[in-house]
Amino acid sequence: MSRDYPFLIEQRGLDLMNLNEELKKIIVKDLFLEDITWDQIKDDAPLFGEGLGLDSLDAVELVVIIQKHFNVEIKDMDEGRIAFQSINSLASFIKERQSS
Amino acid sequence: MLIRMGGWRLAYFILHFVVLYYILFRPSVRRKCGYYLSHRFPGERTARRLLSSYRLSLELGKVLIDRAIVGILGVDRISASFNNLDILNGLISERKGVIFLISHVGSWQVALSALHLLKIPFNMVIHREEGDVDRHYFEHRSMERPYRIIDPEGFLGGTLEMIEVLKRGEALCIMGDRLFGNLKNTLSVRFLGENALFPFSAMKIASTSGAPVVVLFPYKESTTGYGVKLAKVIRVPEGLGRSGDHFLPYIEEYVRALEDFTIEYPFQFFNFYDMWKK
Repeated sequence: MSRDYPFLIEQRGLDLMNLNEELKKIIVKDLFLEDITWDQIKDDAPLFGEGLGLDSLDAVELVVIIQKHFNVEIKDMDEGRIAFQSINSLASFIKERQSS
Repeated sequence: MLIRMGGWRLAYFILHFVVLYYILFRPSVRRKCGYYLSHRFPGERTARRLLSSYRLSLELGKVLIDRAIVGILGVDRISASFNNLDILNGLISERKGVIFLISHVGSWQVALSALHLLKIPFNMVIHREEGDVDRHYFEHRSMERPYRIIDPEGFLGGTLEMIEVLKRGEALCIMGDRLFGNLKNTLSVRFLGENALFPFSAMKIASTSGAPVVVLFPYKESTTGYGVKLAKVIRVPEGLGRSGDHFLPYIEEYVRALEDFTIEYPFQFFNFYDMWKK
């Protein structure tokens, strides 16, 4: 095992953290969320329903936003089901697609 | 059995008595007819309203029988004409999919049979509830389902599926005059003299996907014939954002077309709930 391994884990964690933050800022700005700031959004809170309070039509917008900012396409409902659980899951999905 | 033995003549004949019974002895039926009729014919007195309720219910009954005839005796028993196939083929060639905004008028199921010439897959956004008495025509016998159903009560309201089918260049049929779930995604628009709520989800999806919105009204024009009216093609600009207000001009275009339809065919609007409820 390379001695760089812990560093890589740390680096990946840092990247995800940055990505989470970036995602939150983009969501607040592009979805015109008025009653919440990006730093109030929890990483593991559900995006839809009781969490962030987005609804089904916001999901349509979110697909476009993710493609526009990260060049990652959410192709179908199965992918959406995985990606749209929380900020954490969305960030992981984007990271995985960008690296594949 | 009745339709197999007597065809539409016998079924229509018996229908008159069935409808008369329901109009005379079921106040709930009169009430449900009254939501629309009191707006379409606001000055009607009791006897006249009773007659209008009878005519409206009779037309609905005929549509249900026609649907059953298509299912039991075959699609060739009812003719459906559509004169704007060239316009629709032009829209399909844009490869952004097409959103058909339909309403509770005539029979959209018969309309679909007129549109089979388009040769693209059809997807219907409909929610069936327990207790729904009407059946799709293909359910009367074991026929292949002519369209795919997207349930608006499914994951994220089925919106991701809707975008998915449009990306493939397919047709997406959405009811423009019926609300599902969240009232947040509705707009209040004047319809037959008073404001009513209409969903703007079709316009939002059009704005996101770039798909054109085609307003279609299928109507019964003779005993065994239907026409399909292409009332409007609405182009919703891309990137209109989250607020429903941006979609108001496009919803108003649809509602004006729907109002015009109810003026031309007053007894073929079958939305039996209080759209104007405050």
